[in-house]
Amino acid sequence: MILLRANDVLRATPWAVREGRTAGRLMHLGVLVVVFGVLYGAVMGSFAGVFGERFLQVVYSAVKVPFLLTATFALSLPSFFVINTLLGLRSDFTYAVRALVATQAGLTIILASLAPFTVLWYASFGDYRAAILFNAVMFGTASISAQWLLRRFYEPLIRRNRKHRLMLRGWLVIYAFVGIQMGWVLRPFIGNPDSPTQFFRQEAWGNAYVQLAQTIVGLFGG
Amino acid sequence: MLKWFRQLDEILRGDATRIGSLDEGKINIRVAGLSTVIILLAAIYGACMGSFNLLHPLGEEARIKAYDMYMQLLASSVKLPLLFFLTLLVTFPSLYVFNALIGSRLSVVSALRLLVASMAVMLAVLASLGPIVVFFSLSTTSYSFMILLNVAICAIAGMLGLAFLLRTLHRLVLVQEARDCPIPPVQQSQEPGGEDQQAQKVNAPPSGALDRVGMFTSRKAINVFRIWTTVFALVGAQMSWVLRPFIGNPGLGFEWFRQRESNFFLAVLRTLGNLFSS
Repeated sequence: MILLRANDVLRATPWAVREGRTAGRLMHLGVLVVVFGVLYGAVMGSFAGVFGERFLQVVYSAVKVPFLLTATFALSLPSFFVINTLLGLRSDFTYAVRALVATQAGLTIILASLAPFTVLWYASFGDYRAAILFNAVMFGTASISAQWLLRRFYEPLIRRNRKHRLMLRGWLVIYAFVGIQMGWVLRPFIGNPDSPTQFFRQEAWGNAYVQLAQTIVGLFGG
Repeated sequence: MLKWFRQLDEILRGDATRIGSLDEGKINIRVAGLSTVIILLAAIYGACMGSFNLLHPLGEEARIKAYDMYMQLLASSVKLPLLFFLTLLVTFPSLYVFNALIGSRLSVVSALRLLVASMAVMLAVLASLGPIVVFFSLSTTSYSFMILLNVAICAIAGMLGLAFLLRTLHRLVLVQEARDCPIPPVQQSQEPGGEDQQAQKVNAPPSGALDRVGMFTSRKAINVFRIWTTVFALVGAQMSWVLRPFIGNPGLGFEWFRQRESNFFLAVLRTLGNLFSS
């Protein structure tokens, strides 16, 4: 059943964005996000092993991946709603939200489909930093592929009103801006084998962008 | 209460400022009710701004007392509505005077409603970005970053609000001109970019002295208002500097207002420098 629905999302069938009642569909799509997000999260957290205390990291990561996506979505939605309304696109908003949620579901499905690669990588290489990098590549791949899906969902909207293209770009900017920080705050996802398992890293509480700016300045400034 | 929010919704959707609904050159809103909504939204965003110190993990070195944190939260949610109404107070007289000077027949009530509606748009955008601000406030330790984020968000909201002001003003001018000269009814259009063509369409048939003047006036009016919106933005920015702190520097104790020094723009530049150097 779930796999059938996942198929619907990936093929951008009308099931996801047109048919049925919105509330029910959003719930279905939410279930997809959680199921596939948990799947990838669990795989992601298995780097340091799955036995004993290390199993906790698997559980934590499994919870964190869907949380990352839904929390980012929830934080970005109010402003998206207001600006859509302001540009006179309110009548299309339901469709837009369904398209966005379906894309989230698509993203997790793609991620889950990449999970076997992650397992193979973990089995082959023991370097923690390489594991981080590999996961970044996986997330990048899934995000870019999901963009493609989003564009397909959004096509009818853009055809109706060109302002939707602008809104789509705005959404991606806000979503990425919040999502990067959310990912930073929710670390660790992978679990450093040298440090104990923990849900949050107290000392790493901070700001991804400030870190980035300082790293860049450090690189060039000395 | 719900009625007032419905009014805000009408403004955001553009229903309140359609050319068909601008009776007698006025936006059909209640200033008092909408102001309440504005105060509420501003207080919400203020609280979002003031939440920076709430979960501050650097507590050991900065030693922020619980009292200070909650006072900052309270102060910010009181000061943010104040910021908007004081900016309105400073800029409204000049708006009205220049408006009268260039010969547009916008009445005091009409100008006031226009400004309040624009502020409502600004604050709706601001408040909708509030959740993002809270999230960054709670998870960030960098004071400079929070300042710049808030400046950026206020700039976005301000630009949207002022764009609304200019567009609506244009429509008001159109409605008045359409009433003054017998021209075929103006088409309703929701596209913000569509007004320029509309203006030309309305002014196209040269049917008298009034018409030429009308076109001349509206062009000039729009230019004057463009300048005026810049002034509004500058005043708002500096007003926010006068009313600081909104976020609350974790290194300093709580104060309602800081000493008079520097200005908004220098401070933003300095903060930008801090972000990269620290």
